[in-house]
Amino acid sequence: MSIRLWIDDREVLAEPGERILEVAQRQGISIPTLCHHPALPVLGACRVCLVEVQQGKRREITTACNTLVQEGMRVATDTAEVRGHRAMNLELLRARAPEAPAVRELATQLGVARSRFRPPAQNPLPNCILCELCVRACAHLGHHALAAVGRGDKKRIGLPHNRPAEACVGCGSCLSVCPTRCILLKETATTRTIWGQTFELVRCKSCGAPVMTEAQRAHAIRTKQLPEDHDDTCELCKQSAASQRLASVVW
Amino acid sequence: MGCRTCELACSFVHSRAGALGRPRIRIHAQGRGLEAGVIKDRYLQLTCLQCAEAACAKVCPTQALVRDETTRAIVLVAERCIGCGLCEAACPFGHMHFDRQIRLPLKCDLCGGSPACARFCPHHALEIRP
Repeated sequence: MSIRLWIDDREVLAEPGERILEVAQRQGISIPTLCHHPALPVLGACRVCLVEVQQGKRREITTACNTLVQEGMRVATDTAEVRGHRAMNLELLRARAPEAPAVRELATQLGVARSRFRPPAQNPLPNCILCELCVRACAHLGHHALAAVGRGDKKRIGLPHNRPAEACVGCGSCLSVCPTRCILLKETATTRTIWGQTFELVRCKSCGAPVMTEAQRAHAIRTKQLPEDHDDTCELCKQSAASQRLASVVW
Repeated sequence: MGCRTCELACSFVHSRAGALGRPRIRIHAQGRGLEAGVIKDRYLQLTCLQCAEAACAKVCPTQALVRDETTRAIVLVAERCIGCGLCEAACPFGHMHFDRQIRLPLKCDLCGGSPACARFCPHHALEIRP
């Protein structure tokens, strides 16, 4: 049974269990987001996707990413009030992440040229907007190495209890999904440092180029049932090996 | 011939994705050999094989690598990718390159059915067949 609702006065059909954001996106209606990732569980942390929802007599401003669609719902994605709320939240986010292009771009679009707020005094992770995409990606990969630590203005993202986490394999997925790219990852020819932990890199057995971290490889072998000697070759050496095999067939 | 125009064409058409200089097709020199009585340089081109049972798609934890029904290529749905790099490790032929700057894998997508490498090959050594 499909659900019928209206988004910006357009009648749309959705399936039960779907959320306003995904239905709107399918209709080509764009709603700004910072903490949403289609492959990860929704959280509703950034408060940028706010929309106005009218259900019967009740009217509220709520997040589109985690609100389930309901029969007869009327959603407005671009009213002055909605824009005002989004602008307020972006002004707060802009204070927190003044150097993040994604935040700056959205803020500018909503007319937030500068922020009246100040960033937290002691922030170990500047430009972090606490969206927890990194936490969710890490959990999705089965590592569970990251968490939101502390409460209130002391809340930040880090390793639980601030201790080195054995669960972290140094894959860098947290950085890949970070909308502000605020996580520090340093790589030398032999090591990768992230979240204050340094990992040894597997070196290509033919050319010595860094491939991935030892821990990452061990985790991949364990969870993906790969052979023990898996991936000790860089992609270019894998290619040359393949080309030599092919050459011996051709000539 | 080994002119590498295909590599250049590939890098160029995908440069918007921030991958200039990282072609998804590569020419591998294979020394020299005798062909019809003439000594010639030997080259092989290698690019993604769009495997029937693709290792990259199999290890992807978010199903970000999917088969395009029209081109039959395995394509990256960038919005679903969480940049873990497992696909690069999984490909046995070395055709997945995880770009550490943009933090996405670079993957041959057959240019949506009309590959630039084949279009620009001056010797018509590359072609796409259904």
